[in-house]
Amino acid sequence: MPLDPLPFPPQTGWKKRCCLLPMAFRDMNARRHIGLQQLSSLALAGRTLLGPMKSCKFIVDESTNQSTLIGSAVRLIESLDLTSAAGQLLNETIQAQNKEFKTGMSTLLFLIGAWSNAVLECLQQNVPVSAIVSVMSEGLNSCCERVQCLQISIHDVNKELCSSSVRPNAFKSKTCQIGHDSLLNPQIFLYFQKDISAPEEVIPISSCSYQEDGCNSNKCLVSPLAGLGSIASLVKPAGDKSTSVISGSGVTTSSCNKLTHSRYFSTLGKSHFSSQQGNFQGYFSGQSADPCECYGFGHLAMALSHGNQASVKLLQSVVAYQQERAECSGSSQFNIAEIVTCCLLGLPENYSCVSPGFVTLVSSEQATVIKHFEDKPLRILLMDGDLTEQYRHLGFNRPCNVRTILEHPSLWEGRAGDLWLSSMLDILINFEVNLVLVKGNVCKNLMERCIANSILVIGFVTRDVLRAFGEVTSTQPVTYLTQLNASCVGSGAQVELWKACDGRAMDLGELVPVRIKVQGIPLLTAVLTTAVASKMQLIEDQFWTLVYRLHHALNDKNVFLGGGAVELLCLSHIQMLAEQPLQPANKNAVKEFHNPWLAASATEYKSVVLQALASGWKQYLSVVMCNTAKAASELEACTTVDHHLKKAADCGSPSAYILKEFRRGDLLRGGSGPFADHGEGLKVYDNVTAKMEAWRRALDLVLLVLQTDAEIISGPKRNQLLNSHMSRTFCI
Amino acid sequence: MSRLEAKKPPLFISEPLTRDTVSQSLSLLSGILKSCYGPAGRLKHLHNGMGGYVCTTSQSSAILSHLSVSHPVLRVLMASVQNHISRFSDCGLFTAILCCSLIENFKSLNVASCTVIKISKHLLSLCMDYLKSEACGCRVSVDFSSVETLLCLVRSILTSKPACMLNKPEVDHLTMLILKAFMFTVPYCVETNAVLGKCVIVPVKGRRVVDSRVLPGLLIETPEIQLAEPLTVKRTCSNMIKIALFSVSMSGDLFNPEEGTIAVHHGISLEMSELNQLLNVGKQLINDEVGLVVCQKVMHPSLKQYLKENHVITVDRAGLSLVEPMSRMTGSKPIASIHSLSPGCYGSLKDVCIESFASKHFVHLIPNDTVVCSMILCNRNETAWDELKRICETAEHVLQLTIKEPLALLGGGCTETHLASYIRHKSYSLSTSSFKEIDCSQTQYQLVADGFCRSLESVACSLNHDDGEVLTDMFYGHCWFVPSGFSSVSNWSDVVSKCGCGINGNTENLKWRLLQGQFGCPIAQGCPKEPSVKVADFLTLDCFAAKCNGLQVALETANLILDLSYVIEDQN
Repeated sequence: MPLDPLPFPPQTGWKKRCCLLPMAFRDMNARRHIGLQQLSSLALAGRTLLGPMKSCKFIVDESTNQSTLIGSAVRLIESLDLTSAAGQLLNETIQAQNKEFKTGMSTLLFLIGAWSNAVLECLQQNVPVSAIVSVMSEGLNSCCERVQCLQISIHDVNKELCSSSVRPNAFKSKTCQIGHDSLLNPQIFLYFQKDISAPEEVIPISSCSYQEDGCNSNKCLVSPLAGLGSIASLVKPAGDKSTSVISGSGVTTSSCNKLTHSRYFSTLGKSHFSSQQGNFQGYFSGQSADPCECYGFGHLAMALSHGNQASVKLLQSVVAYQQERAECSGSSQFNIAEIVTCCLLGLPENYSCVSPGFVTLVSSEQATVIKHFEDKPLRILLMDGDLTEQYRHLGFNRPCNVRTILEHPSLWEGRAGDLWLSSMLDILINFEVNLVLVKGNVCKNLMERCIANSILVIGFVTRDVLRAFGEVTSTQPVTYLTQLNASCVGSGAQVELWKACDGRAMDLGELVPVRIKVQGIPLLTAVLTTAVASKMQLIEDQFWTLVYRLHHALNDKNVFLGGGAVELLCLSHIQMLAEQPLQPANKNAVKEFHNPWLAASATEYKSVVLQALASGWKQYLSVVMCNTAKAASELEACTTVDHHLKKAADCGSPSAYILKEFRRGDLLRGGSGPFADHGEGLKVYDNVTAKMEAWRRALDLVLLVLQTDAEIISGPKRNQLLNSHMSRTFCI
Repeated sequence: MSRLEAKKPPLFISEPLTRDTVSQSLSLLSGILKSCYGPAGRLKHLHNGMGGYVCTTSQSSAILSHLSVSHPVLRVLMASVQNHISRFSDCGLFTAILCCSLIENFKSLNVASCTVIKISKHLLSLCMDYLKSEACGCRVSVDFSSVETLLCLVRSILTSKPACMLNKPEVDHLTMLILKAFMFTVPYCVETNAVLGKCVIVPVKGRRVVDSRVLPGLLIETPEIQLAEPLTVKRTCSNMIKIALFSVSMSGDLFNPEEGTIAVHHGISLEMSELNQLLNVGKQLINDEVGLVVCQKVMHPSLKQYLKENHVITVDRAGLSLVEPMSRMTGSKPIASIHSLSPGCYGSLKDVCIESFASKHFVHLIPNDTVVCSMILCNRNETAWDELKRICETAEHVLQLTIKEPLALLGGGCTETHLASYIRHKSYSLSTSSFKEIDCSQTQYQLVADGFCRSLESVACSLNHDDGEVLTDMFYGHCWFVPSGFSSVSNWSDVVSKCGCGINGNTENLKWRLLQGQFGCPIAQGCPKEPSVKVADFLTLDCFAAKCNGLQVALETANLILDLSYVIEDQN
């Protein structure tokens, strides 16, 4: 609007002249804001990615005919055409959220679309831009403050989750002690048992062998193969379980209370258990008496997974490993930098597992070297550049005007490349290096010569892996082999062929997975397997999303009640704000920083704009419900939401109502009963910061685009834009 | 076969301002700039249409540097505004809008341009005398012993650019940070010619604004892999850390002469000899008890390894922007050659530690006395971060200007309308002898004065971007905004609450008039008054020096452009 009153020249006749001039200026504002329309249509593509039950999308590359399965907004955005300014900003926003949180991108994308639509509607109703901006951003602020009450500390969540799942029968007697009787009722409890027990029995095994010797445990930690059948056996009278386990382990009953929470052992088969008895004693004695401390974050991971079962199992065993290590060494409980993934294509998905150490793929020629190593400890070298003759460290400028003069050519000297090869090999042999981990590329010829000399060289190793090996062997990576001195070579590394949970070594065509470790290395590799190539990235993304969710939950020290609780409270809060005659902020306006343009007109349009803000979350809830088939249509979903809102308002304290419904597991379950769908949705938690940041980023982008009234385009594309009929275009 | 082409004759364009193309381009430029003005200003996407980085901004510095303008008249205008921005950082849009407005208003007068120029120069001198006099009713003095006014000044600057996407708590947080950073840069003991220090902005994109913070000293980003904690530093006997700062590349490559070739005998490696030279430097550094070596560019890994083995901390790739503040902070002289090291070039530091922030790792250099500080600046996305960075630099610059001249002007359009009503009043009370001096008639004088005042008022009007009304009162001459939807109200006092700068409330009947109703405006009874109470908090304030200079630049540029009679374009 602002440019309208200006004496702009008529559109025709201008264009011809424009093309001679170097600038394009496009006026894009109107009642129908082009930028917002672009955002809305781009975001539409991500609707089905919302919520725990995503419908994945196939992205087909027309040039290669290859297709990939995507399940996250980041991957979707990567494959969309985003040449428009609004599209570019959308991409930037999604990437920023991904970089910072690795979760919340679908929410972000969805809300961008929903709020763009809502703002467009406000514009249609002639609401001034400044009023939209100030009311929406204040509304979001107010909501973010309001929903703080739905945060629960990690400590409480863990207490709740583990006490409910481990000691079912003892629960009632223990509630007073824990002080959570108000939070749980026996009904949930039963359900929970069912819900949570699945991961319990897949928990690792070689927990203790870790501290003394990390290398003999190539057993698979997780066996999703165990499947559903065993769940049934777990739901049997659960009280027996703990006692039987304890008697089996030979620990006295007095220590029983301390141990019951010890998830790693309580549900293991007896035979397995007794075989490792000796180790357990020492482990148990170090335990604290607090039931949740030791429980780890396995259940929290489950509650954050939002139905992503396969990743949960992997993460739970990562957590179990790290927990144990933390207890031994006092390091942090969950360290994201010590996790790497290795993708194995061609194995069934249930071969996925977590292996201590570094698992990576090598060529079959390299694998032959491993056979020579057998079990002897290896000397390891870390390199932080490429291992090629041409490589120079970053910032080194090659001299271009140096000419070498050869005065006495002699035949024996051979080619320069051979000279380098043999001198490098000599260095490696002199220092008795067996294993070289290289950050970048490795020269093919050198690789061959190394294989012939039983030296294993592995390229493209990530920084985190190098650091982990560096720390544990107390060596520093070198850039050139010529730098090598005795202190650069570490010792005690071991390499073996990676074996799947059935104990077989795998040969995936050309490539062979191997496992490298050093005594005491904190590194864990999540080996991700799938037989479907296009699914690989999806699986990896999902795993990392979950890892980061746990990471952020622990950083925040709090989680939100999930399953729509937070959004519902926002909706009810906005309802209340809209009914208020004056915003509380305006009462002490005298003391506020004065902003005459915003304050005055804002009150006038407050309720319209607040409704627009609310519609974002309402659509979010209804689409989630539709995607999870909890509602047949968006209309039905909206009715359910309205029903809850009304009840919340009637109840007097919306947050108390929502808390109660969440405890009952009845939040947004549509028509179906609380126990109707199996194993999901009952206890769901969300990240606090990631969620609120996603909201804020979504609104920021929408308001940023809303406040933009023109594009100023330079560069070769401008003529194309000048000829388009999308908007008025001018040149200066 | 070569062909010679005769030179084309240059193109003469007479009276360029009367051309349609110029006036259309001028009004377009003025439209773009006006739409950006103020806290409710509209933003512009600046991009190349190919899907690269999009800059979203409403700042004159970004927009003007991105606009490539073809017409020489506009180029003159933009060059002088850009020059103003480079000297003062602030009030670029004010200058540009006022200049466009003055050209448009003066051009439409039926007065010879030389007369217009003479009269407008007189008007400018009236303005400047008034602004610099104690009686000036639109300025406040800035008291550096309390933070209130300074906070208002910084806050006004931060809120004036909506593309930063800040909410209220974030504005408050950043306002405090900017002021804190500025305080760090003021030297402790002031000698005769004190020099302000520097605040270096460290980018952390993707984080919340409230995560930003200020640290004394400098931060140099380093990849994590190089660092081993705990950091043990070699100290001299006086418990200081000796630092050597290299501005030359230590990567071991040869200096590259532009032309000519070097012939080398086979078997001699230049790389090796260069590295040996570097290691010799390293040896000397160790002998001189240097604890920390910082290189602006890259250091050879072997040198780093050698120094590390001898317990010297090395930090490379510090970047050019850090060299000057680091040299100032540590007292070291940047070493520009690896062949000669004089012992006088080393500096000293109090401490060195490692700071981790977000996913970044920094070596934190802590000096003895802090005139250099680092501001870790966060914002959620890149485009908003860039806008925020520009505005933080502006705020720092404005504070520097204000400490030299501790005055501020009332913002929110009030200075413009106040000045306009002062000039209106003055132009009617001018003695006839003054007209003689200028060599013009009273009518001419009043026509030009009216054009001048309307230009000032149109700047104030550009703050309003929704369809509301802009008023001015007849008593203080301040600027008042009526929200849209109230234009049919009979009594303005029902709908306005505070004036633009926030100093006057709607307490007395102030007799408002519409600013846009340009003609037939009644003349104020007397000189506009100074507000009776000067509340110090929650005012909108503008930088005094920047606005005064902007006013002068706008008028002088407008005069220059009005005076153009020919444009001679070389067509070859």
